[in-house]
Amino acid sequence: MTVQITASEGGIPHNTIMAVGLVGSLVCLYLTYANQFLNAEYAAFFGGLAAVFALLWGTDTIKNLCSYGIGTGVPSAGMIAFGTGVIAMLLATKVETIVPFSAPIAAVVFGAIVGAVAGWIANEVMRMNIPVMVRSLTEMAIIGAIVLMGFTAAMAGGFGFDALAAREIAILGPLTTTSYVGSLLGGCLLAVSFMLGSLALQHPFNACLGPGEQQDRTMMLAAECGFLSMIAVAAISFAFIAFPAALLSLIVAIVGWYYTYVRFIELSKRDAFAWLDAKPILEPKGDD
Amino acid sequence: MTAIAAGSGGGEGINPVASAIGIVLILITLAITYFAVPAGLAALVGVIVGGLLIGFGIHFVPVGGAPAAMGQAPGIATGVAMLATGAGLAGLFGGAWAAANPEFSFAVVIAAGAVGGGLMMAITCLMVNIIYIFGMGIPAASGKVAKDPITGDTQEAYKSQGTEGHGLPFISYVGGVIGGLLGGAGGTLIYYELLQVYTATLPGMFGADAAEVLPIAVSLAGIFAVGMFLVNAVLAAYNITGTIEGPHDPKFKRFPRAIIGCATASAVCGLFAILIVMGV
Amino acid sequence: MESVLFGIGVTALAGALATIAGAAEDTESNIGSQGDPNSQVQLAPQMGYIHRIYNKAVSGEPPAYGLWVTISAGVAWAFMATGMNPVLALVIASALAIFVQGVYATTAYLGRTASLAKFEQPVYIDVIKSVTTVTMAHAFVAVFPAVVMCYLLIAALGHPFPLPLLGIVWGIALGAAGSATGNPFYGKERQYQSQKFGAGVPISASGNIVRYAEAGQRSSLDNGWFTAKLAGPASGICFGLIVFLEIWRTVLFEDVASGWGAIIAGVVIILIFTIIDRYVEVWARKNYGPYQAEATEEVSA
Repeated sequence: MTVQITASEGGIPHNTIMAVGLVGSLVCLYLTYANQFLNAEYAAFFGGLAAVFALLWGTDTIKNLCSYGIGTGVPSAGMIAFGTGVIAMLLATKVETIVPFSAPIAAVVFGAIVGAVAGWIANEVMRMNIPVMVRSLTEMAIIGAIVLMGFTAAMAGGFGFDALAAREIAILGPLTTTSYVGSLLGGCLLAVSFMLGSLALQHPFNACLGPGEQQDRTMMLAAECGFLSMIAVAAISFAFIAFPAALLSLIVAIVGWYYTYVRFIELSKRDAFAWLDAKPILEPKGDD
Repeated sequence: MTAIAAGSGGGEGINPVASAIGIVLILITLAITYFAVPAGLAALVGVIVGGLLIGFGIHFVPVGGAPAAMGQAPGIATGVAMLATGAGLAGLFGGAWAAANPEFSFAVVIAAGAVGGGLMMAITCLMVNIIYIFGMGIPAASGKVAKDPITGDTQEAYKSQGTEGHGLPFISYVGGVIGGLLGGAGGTLIYYELLQVYTATLPGMFGADAAEVLPIAVSLAGIFAVGMFLVNAVLAAYNITGTIEGPHDPKFKRFPRAIIGCATASAVCGLFAILIVMGV
Repeated sequence: MESVLFGIGVTALAGALATIAGAAEDTESNIGSQGDPNSQVQLAPQMGYIHRIYNKAVSGEPPAYGLWVTISAGVAWAFMATGMNPVLALVIASALAIFVQGVYATTAYLGRTASLAKFEQPVYIDVIKSVTTVTMAHAFVAVFPAVVMCYLLIAALGHPFPLPLLGIVWGIALGAAGSATGNPFYGKERQYQSQKFGAGVPISASGNIVRYAEAGQRSSLDNGWFTAKLAGPASGICFGLIVFLEIWRTVLFEDVASGWGAIIAGVVIILIFTIIDRYVEVWARKNYGPYQAEATEEVSA
């Protein structure tokens, strides 16, 4: 006796969500470049917004894929998305050092390559034969790379490989020294982004699946997961970027999280069979 | 892992065309590495071997999924990919520790990783049986074979009514330990090979001392090892559709597919990981 | 000698911390009903059994604990980088991780339960209010020692990994050990307490979980009260042994035979555990005997 994955049909088509997610997240990633022209990293919070856009898109992708029943549950899909995404994202940061302003596009390209290979292996070599497998894993690797890049930008203000690997530390006023161990890569804070992203990617659909799943509620939860992850990212950013900029990220994250969380509770109330406080079990009236 | 059980069966047997394409892909990645980062060629081979060790190891780990949590099926009641990852990363912990000691040889590092993973699984599998036997009064029984291939114990009579078996018979226990050993060795091998590449190239890239940039090398190799472990673990879990009893399970015969698939995936991922130090 | 003694002391402390983390981890997941047994909580309303059990479908325990411990490790690392006292940083970071855990728990319960409207399963607000805080408390008791243990391994024993990377390693291992050990006890022994003792749950009984207590109705708090007596401590011993023996063999035998000492010690320990397992398995077969057509062998508790 097992539970079938069920989800709502219709709603906003997947291609529309994908277009909005991809364009929105890329625009936000490019907005983080504004940090190079400001006196502090005030644009860092756009990295978090990029992750939110990507997670909205990813939630719909996971819903598409898991409706087929892939045999290992929803969370594993989030794990493979970020396992492939982290590799694409790091290579893209390397490209950034050679060709400035190319990292977001490079992340999409590399993510598409790694994801397509993983999807093709699952479908052809492992013989899963799921029609949307290749496309879904391709999308999810891109999403993984974008989310990691967005969180990296929110933590450190940018995403060039050299900047992520070294941090200038002031000693005695004007003198500075370069610290590698205290940098974003040296502290391996990608591990935090990795887990934050992979849970936030799989959670919305995993938490809302069932016969009463509604697209707007699932999407609201996706945004909530994105902003919630951004709170943790903003807390970490205090170590890397200017205090007011980190505070701005934190405020944006908390406001966004609070709004989406309250909205999600309202939508749950709308969809629930009943909303009871301290009431006994209502045995069904039907004939069992 | 969740309330979802297997929905897709997955075909049986090897897909020859796809396997051939996979092997060609591996050769292409080796060629690219040879021209782009010549120093990384041996490392890429190591990463590929590490990936297929992980994929192969997953097939040994006895995982029953949700039914195992009710004593309806043998195996460990959790997700196969994450259980193996837990064991593999525990192995990586030991392997990375050994790799940090310059006096230790390559064999010691890999063996340290393997033993770490095997130890984690040995303890976990024992505690599973202790809970079943002393907490719930249920003896171990396999649903897939009439006799335990190692001990020759009969299984059928020890299955309770209406179930497919429960707990971890000895063959599953041994499978769990072997899976842990292979996973720990594979994860450590990926980490070690990438660490060699990065420690050799990063100092020149940043114009800094080797000791200064060592944390960057360790972190990069570490997060790549975790990422690649998860990719290989999930792909192998797809191959067995989420549950397997151990090396005696008929699904175990699917492992050649996983070896080809995980090798291909590791080759592409490894290529990307090595290209990061291109142009030094 | 001094350094070995120090190493053994840290090893013992890390093992103790891991034991606490493991025990709290399993109890937390059972109070929130997470992991594989949760499939039955999800299934029950479909079979016509409306219940007041929490439904914390966040993901499997390994990824979930990977996340909580990694958040705590990452935020603590960042706070320490800004010059904060390590102890304070670890506490505040763990608290932040638990805030995230609590939000995930509530959204999982609301999401899953609202999607079950078709089967007339209501959302019980009082269950959220009473259970969420308890799972958060237990999660804190699990996450904080785990992160302190990771910090000790770096600060005292010099492990090369940075704190967030160790967090992901031990967080996932903690979830894996806790869910593997504790899940059957919650899933079979507690959810199906009305079924026969000493046998697996027949597949035909799926979904018919225990919803009524000795007096009144059960919520998930009662599940924690039940599993904390056996599955929780067992999970603690499991994770504690993993951490302790892993570090112990390294600290004590690493310098023997240029590194092979620790590996030989590890192999010997694995063999010892294998022998114990075989003994336990044979003991059960001999004492419980095979199942008859109807009756099951009772064990004197």
